[in-house]
Amino acid sequence: MTTIERRPEFLIAPALAWLTVFMVIPCLLILALAFFRRGTYGGVEYTFTLENLALVFDPLYAGIFLKSATIAGTSAMIAAVIGYMAAYAIVSMPKRTQPALLFFAVLPFWSNYLVRTYAWIVLLNREGLITGIARWMGYEGELPRLLYTEGAVVIGLVYNYLPFVILACYAPLSRLNPEISEASRDLGATGWTTFRRVILPMTVTGIATGFVFVFVLSIGNFVTPALLGGGQFQMIGNLVYAQFLTANDWPFGAALSMILIAIMMGLLTIQTFATERASGARHGTD
Amino acid sequence: MSKPLLSLQNVEKQFGTFKAVDQVSIDINENEFFALLGASGSGKTTLLRMIAGFEDLTSGALLLDGDDISAVPAHRRPVNLMFQSYALFPHLTVARNIAYGLEMERLPRKEITARVDEILETIQLSHVAARKPDQLSGGQRQRVALARALVKRPRILLLDEPLGALDKKLRGEMQLELKRIQDEFKITFIVVTHDQEEALVMADRIAILKDGKLLQIGSPSEVYEHPNSRFSAEFIGVMNFLPVVRSGDGYQDRNGAAITATDRGVLGHGATLVAAVRPERMLLNPEPHLNQLTGRISALAYHGLDLQVHLETPSSPQPVMVRLTADAAEGLNLSIGDTLAVGWSAKDTRIFDA
Repeated sequence: MTTIERRPEFLIAPALAWLTVFMVIPCLLILALAFFRRGTYGGVEYTFTLENLALVFDPLYAGIFLKSATIAGTSAMIAAVIGYMAAYAIVSMPKRTQPALLFFAVLPFWSNYLVRTYAWIVLLNREGLITGIARWMGYEGELPRLLYTEGAVVIGLVYNYLPFVILACYAPLSRLNPEISEASRDLGATGWTTFRRVILPMTVTGIATGFVFVFVLSIGNFVTPALLGGGQFQMIGNLVYAQFLTANDWPFGAALSMILIAIMMGLLTIQTFATERASGARHGTD
Repeated sequence: MSKPLLSLQNVEKQFGTFKAVDQVSIDINENEFFALLGASGSGKTTLLRMIAGFEDLTSGALLLDGDDISAVPAHRRPVNLMFQSYALFPHLTVARNIAYGLEMERLPRKEITARVDEILETIQLSHVAARKPDQLSGGQRQRVALARALVKRPRILLLDEPLGALDKKLRGEMQLELKRIQDEFKITFIVVTHDQEEALVMADRIAILKDGKLLQIGSPSEVYEHPNSRFSAEFIGVMNFLPVVRSGDGYQDRNGAAITATDRGVLGHGATLVAAVRPERMLLNPEPHLNQLTGRISALAYHGLDLQVHLETPSSPQPVMVRLTADAAEGLNLSIGDTLAVGWSAKDTRIFDA
């Protein structure tokens, strides 16, 4: 018997080594910069300081965090509702057609993120498709600006991350035994009550997972706010980008990243534990 | 005879081109333990789901206390179903599962608690009231599902293969337990099962279904002793079938031996016929006036109370089964390869179309 057969857990070694060498170590090196002073002409001066981290909580930057969280939260909320509805609809279709529908839901992922986001510029543009349709339908008045608004950013984020939510919600919905909702109706519950008291609580982990995914991916996103927000406002992603690439203030960029990663890890941990608990309650011991 | 509680009148169910239930008419009485017995695809579950309100009737009528309920939605029918999978709500405790149906009736909280406690006591599960379904054993889950449906005090309790998921020993106990509960609650039970033994043990009356059609309806002893078709005879219990041809007033088996049956036992009049006889009606040392056959013992199976003997005989293409009581078999020293003559009386003989 070879070592691998006896201890298959060693098979994780290549992945672990890869991630450690090429992700964890570089990330830690960058994050370590947060504790050093910025050089007068860029670069890093290696004296210890907590100023960079303190600066993150300056109202100006804290405001950007808050704004990012609001946009990410709005996007995650909208994506969770639309995605859950879509997953619910897919599950109600015949079993044979479900894989095809899921495939179509995930299809946008196979194209380039930038191309997809540019496509929204074409749609939302002042002379774009939506304006064109409004004109064609005979609307003569002034149209509100669509592109380069918070709304455009939210639309772009929801659009990009919706497939995650659909997949996250599809899993628990498709596992539901149809007899469960029949049992609820049999016991006197209407369709709505059945949904609210049985189906939703049994599948809420999918919504939570989808929500956290969209939130975490959105709050750090810098492509969508740059392209669809048009520099009208900044999200943390853009701020980090600017610190590293334009302001040449790597220590402050590192400090911002550190807080951002902390927020993401916190949320993902809560989500993991919540999901664990929800399923743990179902597989608990005596 | 009083008015039936539930009356199925020419009920039909069509799924596309497939007729799942075909012109079924059954009257079920107040306080009856009724079994719908059939193989899978016989339409028994569809019939149950129509009574519960989960399937529409393609045609026919469904009367409860004389009122047509076929248009009443499931959640407003005074009928509850215990699902085959139990369908307990995994996110709710045992007590909350049982309370669910009462909460839907918007009963006062105090009454709900009292009724839940009471039924938990009846099914002897008070100690697991705070547990989630996945922390229960199979037998406990089954009782919770039963309690959840019973606590609503329905006019009719429907049970879909209620004992199917239990192991054999537990199943035997639960058969009697279900009968006891039905007696205690004085509720009409309609149970769907593919297990003929279960139906015989529990039910007051049995309906045998095949391919969506009702074949026979009667008490367990009626359907066992007087099956009205070859299918019923085969489905309920064990039955030997000997191919026979008409010969004068009586019949003749393949070996040329005469077979007689009473008028009541003659249920087939076609060209190809079989004579049917139960293994336990076979007697040793047959008197000359009995129907008889002789065969070579090909297998012996000891079952404790009785001994099953398989006889190879020119009279039948399949081995003939003979069931002897342990007492009768004692001292005979039967062994494989021995020749054995058995006989049975005309009144235990049924003639069916093959």
